[in-house]
Amino acid sequence: MSAIAHGDGQRHGDHPPAAHASSRVPPVLVGMYLFIASEAMLFGSFFAAYFFARVSVGAETWPPEPFELPVFLALLNTIILVTSSFTIHWALQSIKRDDRAGLIAGLGLTFLLGLAFLLIQAREYTRLGFSPRDLGFGSTFYGLTGLHGLHVFVGLTLLAIAFVRAVRGHYSARNHQGVELPGIYWHFVDVMWIVVYTTVYVI
Amino acid sequence: MAVRVEEQVLPTWKDGAVMRWVTSVDHKKIGLIYIWSAFVFFVGGGSMALAIRLQLAQADQEIATQGSFNALTTMHGTVMVFLFAMPLLAGIGNYLVPLMIGARDMAFPRLNALSLWIYMIGAIVLLGSFGAKGGAAQAGWTAYTPLSGPDYAPELGQDLWILGLHLVGISSLLGSINFLVTIVNMRTQGMSWTRIPLFVWSMVAQSILILLTIPVIAAALLLLLLDRQAGTSFFLPDGGGSAVLYQHLFWFFGHPEVYILVLPAFGIVSEVIPVFARKPIFGYKAVAFSSLGIALISMIVWGHHMFTVGLGDGLNGFFMVATYLVAIPTGIKVLNWTATLWRGNLTFRTPMLFAVGMVALFLIGGLSGVVVANYPVDYQLHDSYYIVAHFHYTIIGGMVLGIFAGLYHWFPKMTGRMYDERLGKWHFWLFTLGFSLTFVPQHMLGLMGMPRRVYTYDREGLFEVYNLVSTIGAWLMALAVLIFIVNVVRSWRSGPRAGSDPWLADTLEWYASSPPAEHNFDSVPYVASHRPLRDLRRRLGGERDG
Repeated sequence: MSAIAHGDGQRHGDHPPAAHASSRVPPVLVGMYLFIASEAMLFGSFFAAYFFARVSVGAETWPPEPFELPVFLALLNTIILVTSSFTIHWALQSIKRDDRAGLIAGLGLTFLLGLAFLLIQAREYTRLGFSPRDLGFGSTFYGLTGLHGLHVFVGLTLLAIAFVRAVRGHYSARNHQGVELPGIYWHFVDVMWIVVYTTVYVI
Repeated sequence: MAVRVEEQVLPTWKDGAVMRWVTSVDHKKIGLIYIWSAFVFFVGGGSMALAIRLQLAQADQEIATQGSFNALTTMHGTVMVFLFAMPLLAGIGNYLVPLMIGARDMAFPRLNALSLWIYMIGAIVLLGSFGAKGGAAQAGWTAYTPLSGPDYAPELGQDLWILGLHLVGISSLLGSINFLVTIVNMRTQGMSWTRIPLFVWSMVAQSILILLTIPVIAAALLLLLLDRQAGTSFFLPDGGGSAVLYQHLFWFFGHPEVYILVLPAFGIVSEVIPVFARKPIFGYKAVAFSSLGIALISMIVWGHHMFTVGLGDGLNGFFMVATYLVAIPTGIKVLNWTATLWRGNLTFRTPMLFAVGMVALFLIGGLSGVVVANYPVDYQLHDSYYIVAHFHYTIIGGMVLGIFAGLYHWFPKMTGRMYDERLGKWHFWLFTLGFSLTFVPQHMLGLMGMPRRVYTYDREGLFEVYNLVSTIGAWLMALAVLIFIVNVVRSWRSGPRAGSDPWLADTLEWYASSPPAEHNFDSVPYVASHRPLRDLRRRLGGERDG
């Protein structure tokens, strides 16, 4: 009975079916966007923890006495990170025009800016005067900024790989997914920082 | 038969039979490893349940101590949810999704293998909890703080539990991305979104839920680990943290988790019923989109697990109404399945028995869910055996029966052989009988006020009778599972050969040979409806069904 259904099994020869392309977006990009969505939920949970602590402590001022946050240092960091979003965009646009020097310069600059951000944050941590053990405030502050710092670190790793590959000439106008993917991640890390900065330092 | 190319290029260390499986990136092999190992954990988690039932068979027994009983309930829940249910569904999905959409493999085969082996490592870490000093985790599968915090659970077992869940969670997350990309990008020619099989739709909804809720439990577990090991106080009230926050985060994941488990089972039933009713599914789009509806609504109902926390009437009322809303898309599915059966040409082979049994038993679980969604009622029933009975009706009656339906249905595809029908029917009837004996009395126990997670109870009235019946039922289920194992082992070795399409089913996986070749298909017919094989049979002048 099943022979009927499969009568034409061999009609097209022994080739596997043609490559599937049921979406115009390449698989790795779809995968990256989905991953970013899950990352957003991860940050969302940390924000939930932050606001829960903020509300449940019930302090009049935030940060609660006697803690203080270096708002201007963090603003400097914000400017650094936002700038790095432009430099990575420049790198991607360069390689799309087959401008390899622009790509390398853009990636290198982005990496240095990201590194500067992390170093400034590390310095900030050492001088804050409170630790993650200091009440819900200390826990959630370090939780949120630490989670973001971890993401900057991962982003730097990806950028370093892309940089080495760029120097070795792996990318071209037609093949630059290895720049595009870290770029998406890096933009996400930047946007998250703006939200973290606004939440933790400004309001 | 084409030459097997990989035999020529494999390095010698990959040559052995074991290494061939371990290093495989083939979605069918990975799927089977998932299914096998998940089934081993099913037997393991089931044994813990049997031990629990033995301890509770009569009042004042001392088979388990209070501590070891807590460890048993904790690990039974965790193993069943994270090491059995999710991986088994991942396995069935892995095996079927590429075949059903006419693809060569998953979108990211190596990522797929990575998910599998992270799951294995996670399972080892989680079960390593048993070997830790002080025994396995005892804070329940929900691990509420402060019970799971540094003060009340200082032992290492709880940390291993957390780390194991982290790993298993990462595995599921990577898997969900892989499924979604596969379904978005790899569908064969002509397979538009309204032509993909309903099981694939259920995997879409499930993967979206995994993608959006696993990060939340990951965050909760990470913060819990920090509270335990780094001295932070996210969840510890003494330090300005909030224990209620943990519950919010946990249940934001925990409720969708129920649908992560049951949606693919819905998908399986939606595939099995039309085949054995010889009819197209009633309302394809309604069944497909109600999966998405369930997924969406399930993310705003978590508070119904926390009615007794004191959220206030406003929030409790919101979560109550939102919970009732879930009944609508679920009811749509039940209606569609029933309408598909209506005036169908029904044959009650084992997959069909399990599918129809699933609809009936899940309906009971759904209805008792509507009862406890009413928060004044829940005040009374919260944390009682009524809840235990309710969620076992949804999980076993819904998911496990659905999984068995699927395993029988696709057994010929996966092994190339037919299972034994007589043993299959014994399995079904013994299992559902045992299931009903186990969990019907637990409703009564709950209404009489027996709390869950107690290791013993008073010698009083009907308590002992109900508990004894429940224990007998549990052992009947174990016997049924034993029959299933015998059936699988015997049939896999020497069952009669099954053709590529023994059920005259409609979806593309039946177009491949049984078991499918390494590359799945030599050719894939152009898909012009959601029943491509039935179109093909008609074109070729075969019998006219449905």
